[in-house]
Amino acid sequence: MRTSTGWRISAATVFLMTLWLGSGTLVAHHSFAMFDTAKPISLTGTVTAFEWTNPHAYIEIDVSEPGGGMKHWSIEMGSPSILQQSGWKFRDLKFGDKVTVSLSPLRNGDPGGLLIQATLPDGRVLGNGPGRGPATPTRGAAPAANK
Amino acid sequence: MRCRYAFIAVSIALLVSIADAQTPRPDLSGVWGPYRGGRGGDPKLAAVPAGQPVLKPQYAKDFEARRAAEAAATQRGEPVATNGTLCVPYGVPTMMSVASYPVEFIQTPKQITIVTEAFGEVRRIYMDKPQQKIDDVPPGYYGRSVGRWEGDTLIVDTVGIKEAVQYQRIPHSDQMRITERIRLAAPNVLHDQITIEDPVVLEKPITYTLAYSRMPDYEMVEFVCDNNREYVDANGVVRMRTRGK
Repeated sequence: MRTSTGWRISAATVFLMTLWLGSGTLVAHHSFAMFDTAKPISLTGTVTAFEWTNPHAYIEIDVSEPGGGMKHWSIEMGSPSILQQSGWKFRDLKFGDKVTVSLSPLRNGDPGGLLIQATLPDGRVLGNGPGRGPATPTRGAAPAANK
Repeated sequence: MRCRYAFIAVSIALLVSIADAQTPRPDLSGVWGPYRGGRGGDPKLAAVPAGQPVLKPQYAKDFEARRAAEAAATQRGEPVATNGTLCVPYGVPTMMSVASYPVEFIQTPKQITIVTEAFGEVRRIYMDKPQQKIDDVPPGYYGRSVGRWEGDTLIVDTVGIKEAVQYQRIPHSDQMRITERIRLAAPNVLHDQITIEDPVVLEKPITYTLAYSRMPDYEMVEFVCDNNREYVDANGVVRMRTRGK
């Protein structure tokens, strides 16, 4: 089931993300300007793949469309090195898991985006690496209503 | 009289060199991550960013125009690709500070090797060897680096960086020379002061200092770029490939 922007990220999160994304002295794999950080969305779906790879890890999920049918989303994460700093492990998601993710969607409308945080089947809420989205539920106002 | 002065001069030189040889060389070996000066760290040990680069007039105009165009593209949400986007390595000196990724120093008397986590880049610093003429070094990502100790400071001289390998997309010529002064600013804080000189493109050298903290138990994570979904479209804009439509 897809839920749209039913929650807001806290000011602290926006601030942290701005710090990270806007820091001119940092070099990253690529700019994140293709993602719309001002319009986060929340999706609940079924994991088809969790790719623990470089330069980014990905969560692939199938999400039911409101009018029936299924839409497939690709969700970009940090790299494994960055992710492990916010508690992720390579086995944290597997095929068939139900997951709720919040993300900054691609501006061009393609079904993809940059992860803000994920609520795992065991209830843990993990962010997208230090400074990249909330690492704790309290900071990010996790979309608990979807559970 | 002249003879006595010569004797004194030689003696002083000898004493200085003995003293230098006896200065214990710091062991830089280990993994180093970015020092967080702002978060409970000592601001005096924090990194010092480069100021605005000052290019020679014939390069400055193009550079400013390109920077403005890139900033506008980013503002539109259509960022321009960089080498890193395509998983092309960063090279010297950018590889020394990529996001929050650590770097590892492996120090031996004859060679100091630096391995980065991002992209697993490797540079080798040959100790106490003469540098080659710039024109004799084939341009590459890492060029040729030679090092020597000056007291407790490791001085590294690098030439032979290819023109496509740029620091913050600042153009340079084949005459660019990079000098690094690497030292322990505190027992567990490493500083790398980087100076980029280019008599062709730069009006004045670019200097900045990177600061690192020791990560004693950290095991470097492998970074093979085999799932790069970012690509560059016909307009030079970075896009992400999605599996759904």
